Amino acid sequence: MVATLLIIMIVLLLLGFPMMIPLIAAPLVVLLIYFPNIDPWFMIQQMMEGVSGYVLLAVPLFIFAADIMSTGKTSKRLLDFIGSFIGHVRGGYAITTAAACTLFGSISGSTQATVVAIGKPMRQRLLSVGYKDSSAIALIINASDIALLIPPSIGMIVYAVVSGTSPGELFIAGIGPGLLIFLFFAVYSYIHARRYNIPLAEKATWAERFQFTKRALFPLGFPLIIVGGIYSGIFTPTEAAGISVLYALILEVLIFRSIKISEVPKIALSTGLVTSAVFVLVAGGQAFSWVISFARIPQLVTSAVFPTEPTALFVLFMVAIFFFIGCMFVDPIVVILILTPIFYPVAMAAGVDPVHLGVVITFQAALGSATPPFGVDIFTASAVFNRSYLDVIKGTPPYILMLIFVAILVIMIEEISLFYRYIM
Amino acid sequence: MFNKKREGLSHLDFIKRLDRFVMKVETFILSYAIILISVMIIGNVLSRALTGNSWSFAQEVSNFAVIVATFMGISYAARQGRHIRMSAFFDLAPKMVKKFLAITISFVTAVVLLVLAYFSFEYVLWVKDTGRVTTALEVPAYFMAVFLPIGFVLGALQFLRNMWINVKEEEVYIGTDKKDFSEQENNKGPKTQVEEKSEAVKQII
Amino acid sequence: GGGETESNVNGDLGQDQNDGNVDGAEGEATGSDEVYDWNFITEEYEGQVQYEYAAKFAEILKEKSDGRINIEVHEYGVMSEDSQVTLLQSGGVEFAIISPGFTGTMVREGQLFALHFLFTDDMELNQQILNTSEALNVHLTEKYESFNITPLAYWTEGAMQWTGNSELRTPEDFQGFKMRTQSSPLILRSYEAYGASPTEMSWGELYTSLQLGVVEGQENPIFFIEDAKFHEVQDYMTISEHNIYVAMTTVNTQFFNGLPTDIQDMILETVEEMRPVAYEMQERMNNELLDAIINNDTHPTEVIELTPEEREAFRELAIPVRDFFIEDVGEDAEKILNLLIEEIEAAQN
Ligand code: NA
Ligand code: NA
Repeated sequence: MVATLLIIMIVLLLLGFPMMIPLIAAPLVVLLIYFPNIDPWFMIQQMMEGVSGYVLLAVPLFIFAADIMSTGKTSKRLLDFIGSFIGHVRGGYAITTAAACTLFGSISGSTQATVVAIGKPMRQRLLSVGYKDSSAIALIINASDIALLIPPSIGMIVYAVVSGTSPGELFIAGIGPGLLIFLFFAVYSYIHARRYNIPLAEKATWAERFQFTKRALFPLGFPLIIVGGIYSGIFTPTEAAGISVLYALILEVLIFRSIKISEVPKIALSTGLVTSAVFVLVAGGQAFSWVISFARIPQLVTSAVFPTEPTALFVLFMVAIFFFIGCMFVDPIVVILILTPIFYPVAMAAGVDPVHLGVVITFQAALGSATPPFGVDIFTASAVFNRSYLDVIKGTPPYILMLIFVAILVIMIEEISLFYRYIM
Repeated sequence: MFNKKREGLSHLDFIKRLDRFVMKVETFILSYAIILISVMIIGNVLSRALTGNSWSFAQEVSNFAVIVATFMGISYAARQGRHIRMSAFFDLAPKMVKKFLAITISFVTAVVLLVLAYFSFEYVLWVKDTGRVTTALEVPAYFMAVFLPIGFVLGALQFLRNMWINVKEEEVYIGTDKKDFSEQENNKGPKTQVEEKSEAVKQII
Repeated sequence: GGGETESNVNGDLGQDQNDGNVDGAEGEATGSDEVYDWNFITEEYEGQVQYEYAAKFAEILKEKSDGRINIEVHEYGVMSEDSQVTLLQSGGVEFAIISPGFTGTMVREGQLFALHFLFTDDMELNQQILNTSEALNVHLTEKYESFNITPLAYWTEGAMQWTGNSELRTPEDFQGFKMRTQSSPLILRSYEAYGASPTEMSWGELYTSLQLGVVEGQENPIFFIEDAKFHEVQDYMTISEHNIYVAMTTVNTQFFNGLPTDIQDMILETVEEMRPVAYEMQERMNNELLDAIINNDTHPTEVIELTPEEREAFRELAIPVRDFFIEDVGEDAEKILNLLIEEIEAAQN
């Protein structure tokens, strides 16, 4: 059964089929052959359910807001402002991208939304100062991983509920690793810019800076309203996506008058296209993971890999490897849902701290979602930037190496996550 | 004979018009689904903040819009060649192989979509049979599912058209209205009007 | 793999064989040595009440049948409750534990379990009512059977409680209070009756929303509150017992009716044996977790017990909601509810 599943998936995938076909056809064949008792239309039900989650609504909404802002003047003004202050530093725009992703991580719990909201406007900027498109996209999809580690994080909430760990503690524990990734990316951006001799932008004068700051005042209110709204309890992170659409519309249609209200449906069409292309895969992913979990494939695998009394470190590394591989193929949230209940008891028996385990798992989920072949962020970037798969993954290896290195640090040094226990 | 030919032509004409019309419907559904989600989520927040009452239907209507956009979008994304593919090997293949693959992929994809259309039709009948209603609005639950078979059939038709174009034309098409990346000028995808506009705006500033 | 085809000696297959040999199968009950492999699906994870119930159920049946009945227990995985019900209904799995709350759009009469202050505050008595009620075990069961689901037992996983970031002791405390509820018009009405502003929200966002104050309170049984750690972000918990969280042990109707009678009897016997086991499991778990909430010094939660007078104040406001339920669902709902109310009153005297 496992062989049938894998062969169909891999062959169709390599031939260049639309990704939805291997993702749907493989489990469908398994269902038809091995589970004759289950009606095939149950797959359809699972696909529908896959796209019915409330928290998923944040994805099209953030994409919509990002589309509005990048069509109009908002993102340009915002990035002009940041650029006037650090554009002249080596790697300044790349560092800005990583910083913007970290900041946006505190708004959205999803890496995909971050790819769209930060990636869309930042990519233009990076290209304009001489970055190669592949480097720009690689930076964006990997830096957006940080969103899953900075609170609020959908991945952590799912882990918390499945494992019975405190989401509040997990949220604090994610900050250390999140900032560590940012640090690595910032240093790398500096080195990369030196090595490829990315031309330095001219240093802006204070008069220019003042001018850009004034023009950016309204756009700067955007993160303030989103972050402020969430932390003061006016709206949830998912609803924040809706509010960002509202704010973007008010700025572009009413204040800047750069978009006519009659043009909004056209922008929504481009959002709808990306949403459909990504969500068909989310739907297929749900059907896929349902079939493998019903067939108990994950349990078969784990009972084979663990010795009778594994050490905590061994368990953590195995967990990391499994989640990393899983998230390379399937949506991170789904992976967390399936694998956490399987690994949690083993980890507890080996004496792993549940909060530390949650951080390791979330980290791997974030890492896997930007890693070929199936990382969801790659799909999102491919759809959003209208670039071929190969173009999107070309530049990712250095980032993946850095993320793996940070992952090893986070696994080995418990204190990176659990620092707060020493302060409080 | 003369008459037959004219009849054939008007058939083609009719099909073209029908296709244009279907595309109009698809674009309408895609864009207004996104707008509907926005209205629901924003409206719910504003209503709760201003009056203290939530819209109990906001979540349900949004989910409905997402489902409609996802499955009705299959066909439109196929026209535009925007379905996500891992095309590493495809991109590297020589043109003859590409041509062969493009035809095979379109055909098999269309077949899979038709199979899914059949199963989803069965699913719609099942849901209808249970008489289930939705939680908040208490409307029949199959209203939501009915967009799946429609979306799959329209998607399959689009992939069949794509197969036909690849058989007929010399170039390799990855979408009905889109040539392969290597055959586009500057290696760039077609721009939507909005994208063109946004670039024009950037150049002016 | 080779094992999978064997494991699909399923309901339909058993039924076919039975069709050809109906009289024989019923007569020679113990003579058959057919092996059964079934699936049992639950809404909870290993270690939680439903999963442990199903595991124990499987163990007893295996023993009774001398190893002929093998039940694979599935915990709540990537499927929602909604699709679990669909899977059971269509024969994809044979057994399931489901909550009437999640089938309320199909068997709408089952929404009666969402009515506030219908049952008593004595959990043992409530369980006794669930075990013996004709309204439930005959009339409501019939409703489910028309959807190919047979409830074999109604049992409770504990009483529902309120948590809040302020004290919830009187209806006045609910004035304008932003209460998180599941999406159901009946539940919305119940909280509106107290003057609250019920807010529908998915649980994925609930912890953060309670922490930040998007919503101010929620309702759940104790074991769920502790599991999801809601008490960490709430200052008060009211032992309101405003209704009971009901679970049903269910079987696919067509499948069950197609089984030989000796196997059917074995299943029904097991259901009976599980009744006290399930009650004890939930009682132990809810008591332990209540202590855990009370003794949690890092996140202190003040636990409020309602006096009989305070309960009565809520009860009075909750009673008119029953009319809404009847109007909304219909005549049969009225009959079932009225009979149940009589049974509950009789049990209290
Ligand atoms: Na986040
Ligand atoms: Na992934």
